Amino acid sequence: MIHFDNVTKVYANQNRPALDHVSVDVDKGEFVFLVGPSGSGKSTFLRLVLKEERPNSGSIHVAGKDLSKLSNFKVPHLRRRIGCVFQDFRLLPNKNVYENVAFALEVIGKPRRFIRKVVPEVIELVGLEGKAHRMPEELSGGEQQRVAMARAFVNRPMILLADEPTGNIDPATSIGIMKVLDRINRTGTTVLMATHDAAIVDSMRKRVVELEDGKIVRDQSRGVYGQAY
Amino acid sequence: MRANFIFSEVWIGLRRNLTMTIAVIVTVAVGMALLGVGMMINSQVSKLTGFWTDKVELSVYLCTKNAPFEPCKNKGAVTQEEKATLKQTIEALPDVERVQFENQAEAYKHFQETESNRTLLSVTKAEDMPESFRVKLKDPDKAAAVAASLKGQAGVSNVVNERDLLESVFGFMDKLRYMALGIAALMLFAAILLIGNTVRLSAYNRRRETGIMRLVGASNIYIQLPFVMEGLIAGLIGGVLSGVILIIVKVFIFESIQTYMAAPLGWDTVAGVITGTMAIGVLICVLASFVTLRRYLRV
Repeated sequence: MIHFDNVTKVYANQNRPALDHVSVDVDKGEFVFLVGPSGSGKSTFLRLVLKEERPNSGSIHVAGKDLSKLSNFKVPHLRRRIGCVFQDFRLLPNKNVYENVAFALEVIGKPRRFIRKVVPEVIELVGLEGKAHRMPEELSGGEQQRVAMARAFVNRPMILLADEPTGNIDPATSIGIMKVLDRINRTGTTVLMATHDAAIVDSMRKRVVELEDGKIVRDQSRGVYGQAY
Repeated sequence: MRANFIFSEVWIGLRRNLTMTIAVIVTVAVGMALLGVGMMINSQVSKLTGFWTDKVELSVYLCTKNAPFEPCKNKGAVTQEEKATLKQTIEALPDVERVQFENQAEAYKHFQETESNRTLLSVTKAEDMPESFRVKLKDPDKAAAVAASLKGQAGVSNVVNERDLLESVFGFMDKLRYMALGIAALMLFAAILLIGNTVRLSAYNRRRETGIMRLVGASNIYIQLPFVMEGLIAGLIGGVLSGVILIIVKVFIFESIQTYMAAPLGWDTVAGVITGTMAIGVLICVLASFVTLRRYLRV
């Protein structure tokens, strides 16, 4: 599903590569934690999957497509197959829960009838039934992140990227978030989650890929966050 | 593509920076109106040129009893023989197409028709009017040479090339036209910069929305269309306003000088000018939004 082959990324005006000859394979339906200290290249990895950045060398395949051969014109179609969740939720403050989720479908031109059908389903899946007409500011951090996950998942993507989704949320609420991610993973969606949260990684017992200074230092199935922490 | 979604986005964008939108509309309206005025003067001038080149004549004025012109002094009025020889001489010139004699009564009639100064009208009598030969040339460009050859003839008081009179009018209109076009160009330049600024503000205001649109895979057209539509609508409103200004200019300025122009500027020309300027205005607005978007909205 995601295939990195010897990928190196050096940002302009920087000497040290953000990713240094990284090769990794993520299969369909896998749940993978991407761990490592800040600046180790986790976010760069996710941005490369979205083709927000281009690698300096190496090749990347996502959902069977070679990203270097994907024209800019087709990048939006790639992104429709990838859902994204962030630490800061990125909800639209002037739209309610329903509208925030529906926005993702409206802007890719889905018919209204389809939107009316699937949006309530997804809101229920993330556990926000009855809160469809709340505004983001009326929700807790955990609930806002659920809205963001509903928006990321509403178009049934093949891959869900989560960049520290529990970074702004207390540990008790984080468990609920992880349950939703697990539920999404069980529908067959590949989940790739970058995180600092050792407790979550240790409790989930999923595959762990650890980055340090842009290099993969550990790739372990059913792993933990790491002895060093 | 969901039209109502796009339009609600456009409406939000226009409302959020209303002052900038108004600035764009006003600039486009004034710029386009000046461009239109330039185009109207242009077609007026070419119309007049066409009209007058057919009609331009040399007027060979003959001496009256007390004519103040140098060649007539101490000679009295032109005699019948002089008139006859003069007519033959003129007709013999190779460049002359036809000659017409205008007697004092006719000249007085023309004078009464065209002169608006009442005092002058009341004191002028038919005997004061000079007789003249109206000479139509085959080639209006030869006028100067023909005029020079006729000037020294006996009984001729003065030779006036009507074209010289027109030339000064045309020269004035030319200056007006270049001024209007020059200001129009400046206004267009300002409009382009303003639109660029508006779009940049708009893109900044909506960076959350566009960021999410990018993430969920909205196509570039879908992301950019609301911004381009903002430019288009501002351009369109500005264009309509410029159309109104041009109609006012036509009614109050062109119509009132029409008396002197002989070749009136028709409404069909005005309609063409309005359509043209509106098209240019909208096109410039859309292009300016599009170019700025490329810079400020990374897709």
